[in-house]
Amino acid sequence: MENLLQVRGLRKSFAIRSGIFRKTTGHVQAVDGVDLDVHPNETLGLVGESGCGKTTLAKIILALERPDSGSVVFDGTDIHSARGQALEHVRRGIQVIFQDPFGSLNPRKKVASIIAEPMIIHKVGSKAQRYDRSAELLKLVGLSTDMLGRYPHEFSGGQRQRICIARAMAVNPRLLVCDEPVSALDVSIQAQVINLLVELQAELKLSYIFISHDLSVVGYISHRIAVMYRGQIVELADAQELFDNPLHPYTRCLMDAVPEPVPGKIAAAAHVRGDEDSVLFPARGCAFGSSCPYREEPCTREKPVLAEALHGHYVACHQHIPPDEQA
Amino acid sequence: MATEKPVTEQYQADAFSRRKDDLLVIHDLHTHFFTPDGVVRALDGVDLRLKKGTTLGLVGESGCGKTVLALSILRLIQDPPGRIVKGSIIFEGTDLLGLDEQEIRKIRGNKISMIFQEPMTSLNPVFTIGAQIAEVILLHQRHRASTKGQAMDMAVEMLKMVGISSPARRINDYPHQLSGGMCQRVMIAMALACRPSLMIADEPTTALDVTTQAQILCLMKDLKDEIDTSILLVTHDLGVVAQSCQEVAVMYTGNVVEYALVEDIFALPLHPYTKGLMRAIPRIGARQEGKTLHAIAGNVPTVRDMPKGCTFHNRCPEVMDICRTEYPPVFRPKADHVVRCWRYVN
Ligand SMILES: Nc1ncnc2c1ncn2[C@@H]1O[C@H](COP(=O)(O)OP(=O)(O)OP(=O)(O)O)[C@@H](O)[C@H]1O
Ligand SMILES: Nc1ncnc2c1ncn2[C@@H]1O[C@H](COP(=O)(O)OP(=O)(O)OP(=O)(O)O)[C@@H](O)[C@H]1O
Ligand SMILES: [Mg+2]
Ligand SMILES: [Mg+2]
Repeated sequence: MENLLQVRGLRKSFAIRSGIFRKTTGHVQAVDGVDLDVHPNETLGLVGESGCGKTTLAKIILALERPDSGSVVFDGTDIHSARGQALEHVRRGIQVIFQDPFGSLNPRKKVASIIAEPMIIHKVGSKAQRYDRSAELLKLVGLSTDMLGRYPHEFSGGQRQRICIARAMAVNPRLLVCDEPVSALDVSIQAQVINLLVELQAELKLSYIFISHDLSVVGYISHRIAVMYRGQIVELADAQELFDNPLHPYTRCLMDAVPEPVPGKIAAAAHVRGDEDSVLFPARGCAFGSSCPYREEPCTREKPVLAEALHGHYVACHQHIPPDEQA
Repeated sequence: MATEKPVTEQYQADAFSRRKDDLLVIHDLHTHFFTPDGVVRALDGVDLRLKKGTTLGLVGESGCGKTVLALSILRLIQDPPGRIVKGSIIFEGTDLLGLDEQEIRKIRGNKISMIFQEPMTSLNPVFTIGAQIAEVILLHQRHRASTKGQAMDMAVEMLKMVGISSPARRINDYPHQLSGGMCQRVMIAMALACRPSLMIADEPTTALDVTTQAQILCLMKDLKDEIDTSILLVTHDLGVVAQSCQEVAVMYTGNVVEYALVEDIFALPLHPYTKGLMRAIPRIGARQEGKTLHAIAGNVPTVRDMPKGCTFHNRCPEVMDICRTEYPPVFRPKADHVVRCWRYVN
């Protein structure tokens, strides 16, 4: 299958500075060698612990952040070297919904101009057409059009998130990067938004990268799911397969920690945090290392690479040697 | 809405005299926003009680007033446009609404602390997170840390507690250098540092992955067990409610429409809105089977189209004639379970 988005060997680190002279005392390897493909009309779920690099990965895909190395190719164009028309094509084709619905809305602008923003940037339509489209989009996300003249602070968190979705849809993107798009919403509105995203996908043949920490939401909406841990993809499989047969110990920890809506049933408060400084000074072996209940000798020596363990099911773990390498 | 809402005598008595161990009793609270478009009745007669050492889950549709309720308790409603127009908030026997600015400031961060919904915007971008936590400690925990150095050491300890690795280094980071979930944990660390008797947590784990969430919920529970803190936990995650709350209040358009023990609300939700919420929980793999998620039809009404009678009636699958004209009072079909719905009239 032709890929809409192809990510290869992405790396990105940030300097950590301390003291009054802000000397660099270490690095956070936020993204550590990520390969990913997104197919047309597909939802790729991305899950992982807080701080594992999901947003950084998203920002690189959106060309908001430059990687230290690696490439992102969207619809045949390398986004970090594209110029002029090609860049415009990429910029329009990939839109985003961010994690923090307040920070991403300009408090001094009315809803109508917020939604029209991408249309202005990409010079779409006349002023009147943009207004009509904004009204239409607002209805699409389940808000009433008399809200067009209001300011973001007059809305609740969830309402603001829907405004963000309307804005992202304004220029008909092909890929929508959704960074925790529904985590600020209650289940009923969340259901509306997810149904909306699913509908839009069927109608417009969109692709989504859907970042969320809520496994039941990701499990519902995604076709495939990538599990990220400390900057790396540690497991990748079809959604159902991943839930039926999680291979990576970290994925299993995640599944065990999902709070079920059953009173009294306490999820395992998994202790997956590893050595104090392992984020800053990654050990040679597996990043999950000391948190892993199945750790064996090779795990401390060698970093496991993502390999196909079962058909279409990839995992980076020494416990799961690919079938063709098994003696 | 011209008619005054009937409040059953029974519930009133219930709210005020029965429980001696109440830490917080909110009665008939109205917080309104006076906007050019009209008055937004963000809270429209809220009654709520919170026992000592109890975690109360506050759930409800986005925009129903959960954050406004939390901010009202701390008297942090911005005026103008907002104002608490009526009601009482009795905390440890005193009405918070009667306090002057200086008195309420003493309570904030000391006896009541709050974790805000939007951590990115609640942290100060120009100070390191260490400095911000230390400031809170110096302000409210003088007896435990009196010098800046001690406060910084405590801050490192707090960051470690909320699961941030390499806290001694991270302490020098500015908020923009942290991920969303890390900022949220910094906020949680600050709230915990105060060792409050009431902690208001507005969606404290929304930006966190499940493993970190489990860890934070555990921390909050420890605090509760250790110093008998009561927690008002605003969340939309019914899984979190099931795990960490003893009682649940469901809000809709500025009012509490159902209030019960957690077991009861999951076993037998009474309000049609609560029933809708329960059915909207997504299930893994259901999409592949071609199932759409159950969403409650329609939208939360806005100020302009606020329906007459019960504000939920135009979305309600169980609507009756009376619901279209009369605002429902509170009924108590069984002990410790109240519901604002005409279905339970006898
Ligand atoms: N501008 C920056 N400067 C320094 N460090 C940064 C910066 N942006 C991100 N980081 C670091 O990179 C790591 C990954 O952050 P990122 O925001 O990608 O995490 P995330 O997976 O999105 O987490 P969350 O689920 O909490 O949002 C974190 O350790 C963070 O502190
Ligand atoms: N400053 C304001 N001016 C006008 N209206 C406001 C203001 N602040 C809040 N509101 C309104 O009050 C209502 C309640 O808002 P609130 O933020 O409490 O919702 P919420 O229940 O916390 O929702 P969410 O789950 O999305 O955070 C909303 O309809 C909102 O539009
Ligand atoms: Mg993030
Ligand atoms: Mg809120």
